[in-house]
Amino acid sequence: MAGTQTDIPKMSKTLCNRLLTDLENARRPVLEAIKCSLDNANYSGKLGYLTPGDKRVRTELNVSSVQKMSRAIFLLEILLRNLETGAVNTKRELYYISKGEVKHNPELAPLDFTDQSESDSIVDFICEMLVCYREDLNCFANDRGGQTYSDYLVVTEKLPSGGSATVDLGSLGTTPFQPKNRPQSLKLRAKKKIDFCLVVESEGTANTFVANGFCKRHKSILVGAQGVPSNAVRGWVKLIQDQLRIPIYFFGDLDAYTMQNIYRTLKAGSAGSLIRNSDFSAPDVRFLGVLPEDIKKYDLADYAVRETDLQEARALKKAKDALANDPFFKDPRNKKVSQILKWLLKNKRRCEQQAYFMVDPRDPAKPEKIIVEKIKKKNYV
Amino acid sequence: MAKDKITTSSTAEYFSKNLQQVGFSSATKAVLTTLKEAVDNSLDACEDAGILPELNIEIEKKGNGTLKNTDLIRIKVEDNGPGLDLDDVPKVFGEYLASSKFGRGRCSRGQQGIGISAATTWAQLTSARGAQVTTKTKRMRNAVSMVVNVDIRHNKGLVKNKESLSKWDRQHGLSVEFLIDGRVQLNGEGGLLTYLQGTTLVNPHLTLTYKLPDQEKVVIKRVEQNCPQVPDATMPHPHTMKLGEFIHHSHLFGPIALKSWLKKGFTRVSDNIIEQMVKHGLKKEYLAKPVNKLHQSEMKEIFAAVQKTELMAPTTRSVMTIGEAPLALSIRRMGEIDFFSVVTRKPKICDSKPVAIEVAIARFLDRQGPRDEEDSAPVTVLRFANRVPLQFDKSACAVVRAIETVNWRSYGISQRTNNLPLGPYVFAVSVVSPFIKFKNASKETIDASDELVEEIRRALMQAGQRLSRHIRREKKADDLERKKEHIEQFGPILVSALCRIVKAPAKRKKQATDGLVKLLGRELNQAKEQLVQAEVEVKKVVAQREKRLGKGKGKKDEDAEAEA
Ligand SMILES: Nc1ncnc2c1ncn2[C@@H]1O[C@H](COP(=O)(O)OP(=O)(O)O)[C@@H](O)[C@H]1O
Ligand SMILES: [Mg+2]
Repeated sequence: MAGTQTDIPKMSKTLCNRLLTDLENARRPVLEAIKCSLDNANYSGKLGYLTPGDKRVRTELNVSSVQKMSRAIFLLEILLRNLETGAVNTKRELYYISKGEVKHNPELAPLDFTDQSESDSIVDFICEMLVCYREDLNCFANDRGGQTYSDYLVVTEKLPSGGSATVDLGSLGTTPFQPKNRPQSLKLRAKKKIDFCLVVESEGTANTFVANGFCKRHKSILVGAQGVPSNAVRGWVKLIQDQLRIPIYFFGDLDAYTMQNIYRTLKAGSAGSLIRNSDFSAPDVRFLGVLPEDIKKYDLADYAVRETDLQEARALKKAKDALANDPFFKDPRNKKVSQILKWLLKNKRRCEQQAYFMVDPRDPAKPEKIIVEKIKKKNYV
Repeated sequence: MAKDKITTSSTAEYFSKNLQQVGFSSATKAVLTTLKEAVDNSLDACEDAGILPELNIEIEKKGNGTLKNTDLIRIKVEDNGPGLDLDDVPKVFGEYLASSKFGRGRCSRGQQGIGISAATTWAQLTSARGAQVTTKTKRMRNAVSMVVNVDIRHNKGLVKNKESLSKWDRQHGLSVEFLIDGRVQLNGEGGLLTYLQGTTLVNPHLTLTYKLPDQEKVVIKRVEQNCPQVPDATMPHPHTMKLGEFIHHSHLFGPIALKSWLKKGFTRVSDNIIEQMVKHGLKKEYLAKPVNKLHQSEMKEIFAAVQKTELMAPTTRSVMTIGEAPLALSIRRMGEIDFFSVVTRKPKICDSKPVAIEVAIARFLDRQGPRDEEDSAPVTVLRFANRVPLQFDKSACAVVRAIETVNWRSYGISQRTNNLPLGPYVFAVSVVSPFIKFKNASKETIDASDELVEEIRRALMQAGQRLSRHIRREKKADDLERKKEHIEQFGPILVSALCRIVKAPAKRKKQATDGLVKLLGRELNQAKEQLVQAEVEVKKVVAQREKRLGKGKGKKDEDAEAEA
């Protein structure tokens, strides 16, 4: 569904030509983009991720939208130039590049962005209009997370220059490999059969597991998500799923925020990124814990959700809405996940992943043992 | 109008120790309160005598005060009122609770005879000199000047340095001058200028000359040539009183039979009603007894029976209004006006008391703040109780409560919900009633009862509606300006960028530019039409207002309701 890089300049020219022709004929040009929001999100259990519906955002040229339109075409011109020369930029750099253009061309002064959020939203708008990834426009975010450890994984990257680079993760010790930018250009290979991949919400905890010998004892891949998964993490986990075909488990906090913002995004993508979920979600990921029943089973310390914890309070409020409207949580296949959400709503408690460390405080490997036992006993949802 | 007898009632000792309770709680407030008491008295006296007031105010720094961080301030207020008889001067300026207006149920400014004697006391305590008074009534051959001090032990006025002046520049009038410790604050909520501006606004018939420290002398001419008619006193309505007030009220009447007291001391009580009260448990044998001989327990019974009896609401004839036409003229005296609206409501009964609400809202050219109202300060609120500006403790006041609970956004004025609206506006709200209930002793906060707040809200909403046409027209003008700007700025940029991307020849560029202008020009024309329409509507409201205000004074705003 997404355009490939070579298409972008052609598509852009076609689009601009249409706009120009409309203007020549004194017709009102219209820009159409896919509506990226929950009310335009579909979910089928078979595909396993959120896809866009038929809704479109139409921007008609009028006195109010002429600013947005000229900003979009202005930024598109910069991006096309990047594609031509092969230069890449982050969104923040693009913000400054556009400010530089304005500085050197005073007639562009009205376009000036006063804040990066303004230029960011225009970049997103261009992507939605051309139905392409930001990366297709050579615009990369400084993506967080995705630190990966494994004794058996070898990654080969196809470089833009034409050559390739190979990294054997087993040779890195406790130093992680971190996928960047375009996971799609990576090729994965297992030196020996790998049993499973574990994605840990806290990158710190993932590193602890590795340092304590997790990867030595288990033929596995460990990934630190570092909170809400960035595009890099999402694309990377999808790659592991597709290329290695091994079970993937997610281990994180038991709270509404983790369920909706972290786990759901990893597994099925998000409503804001409908056009990219197909390549940036891993529907096979399972939620290993912390499960509500673990609290009793392992006698874990949990907490009441405090009103003052704004993020959690907001997530709980959102959870109610999600259960009613979010096609992911409504789908019968994800019944067990939504049951956890219901449990959270009802009990208003939360339990952190690190609580596993209290089960046997003198045994550093205890959390690892619990995790492996849970995998063996299929104690996940 | 015959001069009423002046009565005294208590000792000065209490007040001299508690001056902070009556407006002397800080150096700046002392100056304001002194000015206020003198001006209130002059305006009341002129009105009672049917004289168009001409006031002359001088405030001047004379050196350092005796108290820390104060100046020695001279405050002089001179009027062309009826003047005071020589015997009355020591009573008025040197005795507490000497007033001709006690519990009279009139909408006068002064209500209890505390203010001006407190100013004398403050002057005496801080500068060792009381009030310097000059007075002349029509009957006196010469004006007489004297110094009045308060004999605090005996609550008596003491006269010194009495002398006859061979000439004075007026036939009748009174001039009073105080030297006090204080500090001059001109602007802001407690400022002297704020007070003078407010007083000017609600007294269209006043000609005012004032000279403040470091300021040019200012003369403000009257815009109304008729003296306001302050309606005659009304007696209180029995249902507005608490037991204590009821008993206190009986003390004012001496040895008079209960039946006569009920009839004379209250409004809406007749023989017929007294029969009803008897049915509701008032013992017949009490009726002939003198009220001052009745026991507290008996008064309690009587009070209960009175409360149970159904009574007509009081008449609204005892309240007065300034009127929309004079208000409209008067508000122009406050500065150069962009646009304004005024509303005079018909007097209403709120909490069994007659009350009249008037509202003036104006936007001033010289107060213009940031273009975007979202960033500007809250509107300036001027509150008036019986035409006296209230300048402190505004937050719990009925007026502020009412302003905050109106949705001003629907009239085009920025506002965060349940807050004061924003922008360079002045909101003036006048509450007139013979029985205004205040929240506390300092009389700066009108009690926010539900009925009163609702009545004020109605007046505000009417004013808002009238204002909204002006604001709409302005918004349309802004809109048109912005649209023009947008097209001029972004049109060429958009076309050039498109042409560069598709490598279009100059011919296409020209054609596209023309097309764009044509396209957006249509919208521009629409915006122009809307502006014209909005301008027509403004003209309509202005014409309506002119018609309404031209209908002659005194006529109440009967079509206001219909229009709303
Ligand atoms: N400037 C004045 N000219 C004529 N009469 C005055 C003047 N000032 C005060 N009086 C008379 O003195 C009375 C007492 O004034 P004051 O002590 O301020 O009490 P209040 O204003 O509450 O009645 C007033 O009621 C009025 O009759
Ligand atoms: Mg007075």
